Amino acid sequence: MGLSGRFRSALIIGGQGVRARKLRTFLSMISLFLGVLAVVTVQAGAEIANRALLADIELTRGKDGTIQVGLPQHEQTVPIAVDTLRGQSDAVAAVSTQAVIGEPGVTPINEGGVPFEYAGQSVGRGQYYCDGRGACYSVESTEAPAPPGKAIELQIVGLTGDIRPFRPFYAEAGRWLDFSGEPSLSPGLVLNREAAKGFGQYRVPAEMRITGASVNSTPRILGVVHDGQSRPVAYVRADELDNWLPAANGNSGASSHLYLSPSATRLEQTLNGRLAAAGVPMEQSYRDVVNSKERIGGQLALMRLIFLGMAALVLLIGVAGILNVGLATVGERIEEFALRRAVGTPRLLLAGIVLAETLIIGLLTAAAAVGVGVAGLEAAELLFGSREPMLQGVQFPWQAGVAGVIAGLVAGVLGGLLPAIRAARIPIATVMRA
Amino acid sequence: MTPLIQLTNLTKTLKGQGEPRSILSGVDLTLHAGESVAILGRSGSGKSTLLSLIGLFDRPDGGQYLLGGSDITRVPERRAARLRSDEFGFVFQRFFLLKHLSAAQNVAMALVNGQGWLPRRKRKATVMAALERVGIAHLAKHKPPRLSGGEQQRVAIARALVREPKVLLADEPTGALDTETGALVIDALHSATDRGCGLILVTHDHAHANRMQRVVRLADGVLVTERQGVFP
Repeated sequence: MGLSGRFRSALIIGGQGVRARKLRTFLSMISLFLGVLAVVTVQAGAEIANRALLADIELTRGKDGTIQVGLPQHEQTVPIAVDTLRGQSDAVAAVSTQAVIGEPGVTPINEGGVPFEYAGQSVGRGQYYCDGRGACYSVESTEAPAPPGKAIELQIVGLTGDIRPFRPFYAEAGRWLDFSGEPSLSPGLVLNREAAKGFGQYRVPAEMRITGASVNSTPRILGVVHDGQSRPVAYVRADELDNWLPAANGNSGASSHLYLSPSATRLEQTLNGRLAAAGVPMEQSYRDVVNSKERIGGQLALMRLIFLGMAALVLLIGVAGILNVGLATVGERIEEFALRRAVGTPRLLLAGIVLAETLIIGLLTAAAAVGVGVAGLEAAELLFGSREPMLQGVQFPWQAGVAGVIAGLVAGVLGGLLPAIRAARIPIATVMRA
Repeated sequence: MTPLIQLTNLTKTLKGQGEPRSILSGVDLTLHAGESVAILGRSGSGKSTLLSLIGLFDRPDGGQYLLGGSDITRVPERRAARLRSDEFGFVFQRFFLLKHLSAAQNVAMALVNGQGWLPRRKRKATVMAALERVGIAHLAKHKPPRLSGGEQQRVAIARALVREPKVLLADEPTGALDTETGALVIDALHSATDRGCGLILVTHDHAHANRMQRVVRLADGVLVTERQGVFP
């Protein structure tokens, strides 16, 4: 009751003090506003950058906690992986190989499956080879190059299930792969943004030749996604791809990559057991757990600290403003504080009243700064959203709001502490004389 | 019967720049419940200093101060604040009302002081009752600049009485008022003694002093009785 009564008393009297000195309150708020706004802006900027960076990494590497396994190339790897993971929701196998869509027997526009901005810039006679980790190498060839023609080379990724729970692709057009029902003999492709760009720029015949296959297929394009890759990639059902892979597809250069949820350990063990039993050299496999948040958190932490340090300096100027106004106000209110002590207000509560006033000012300033931050972000999205993808659909990060409130409260405490001590030390006897 | 206040050989020396100056050099004073005492004396004689010691604004250098039989001569500040809140009411010459608060809020200041908590409705009723006692309940919402001197002093008296104190300390409460208004203020203060409240009035005005049951004079740091009242 005592603490509650004192707390309520401090709030009531502090509120009366703020209302009685509106202009001073406003001036204090102005001096503090820029500091709190700086903290809010830095925190919001860091959070938004963090989210954007994380979203990019999630697209290419997978969500945090995802287990990635690269399987060694072997004639039994793909069939066993596809068979084991078929119909599983907590694991997906991605079988990657190269394919050319367009005129047969020609050199593709983007030989080696390079991004289209580098199309036609390949040097020397060679061929690209990409491993399961996505790293590509140039391999020298002694064969005479085929004549250039209307064809696009891309990476084909056969999936045993929906990969989006692990890599959250953005849908851009059409639809995603449907894994229910029987596989079609005409493989349904979902292109990534770069592949879609190629098919938008160049008109090519609908004939697909998978590396190592002897028979060409006619693909259907189902949709377009953004997968964060700069190379042209097409996603297809693994069983539809399997129809067109050479019989001994383990030798076709296809690599297998697994995405597993942390709970899929038994499935992983089963797969490893089956592969080892089939003679796949499992010692050549690699396993990696995606831990992007911690990794980029470390990268951004220093940057954030530097900016927060600068914001803290601006905040300190605001604190000096509150301190200045607070000390002047206490000087003017000596009689009031002496009177309050005379009617029994304890020293501690007097200090609490002054602190309550500066805390109210800090909170009001924080509310104003957060409000301006939210409005500013919305305005930035409206003005620059079309040019900056990072700003599209961006939400004001709650962490920035919390940082603003904390900054306001800290400034209130720092700015009010000295005036509070002074108020508590005012002697009654000398002030209350007739 | 235990006196409300019993001061024995109270001394106080002011230590500032220059030589220390003895203000009180052995004051004895007793106040019973419902008793009224007037303290007269020249300016600078130490009347206000004595009142500030009785009201626990300050502490004596020597002697003994008993409040209701308890020794509070060296009472710590935390308990002194509690005693100021619960046992004493103060009225000053300069009213000391806060201009930005209404009359009712000024009175409520003595209730919203961190010493216990009254719910809003009960607090309002208590404040209105105190204003009613001094006859200015109709001015509850007025702020001090809109009140006359006499009305302001009555707001100050209501503030002093709102917690039903045992001792009322008034330091020249009529000093800033005309004779007629001053008499009304003394009436309001005196009425508190009917409820058993002890009253100590510091004044220069003999007419007001003579309305008290006992009159003492402070001279050369000691209290001398001018008129002894009859008190059980």
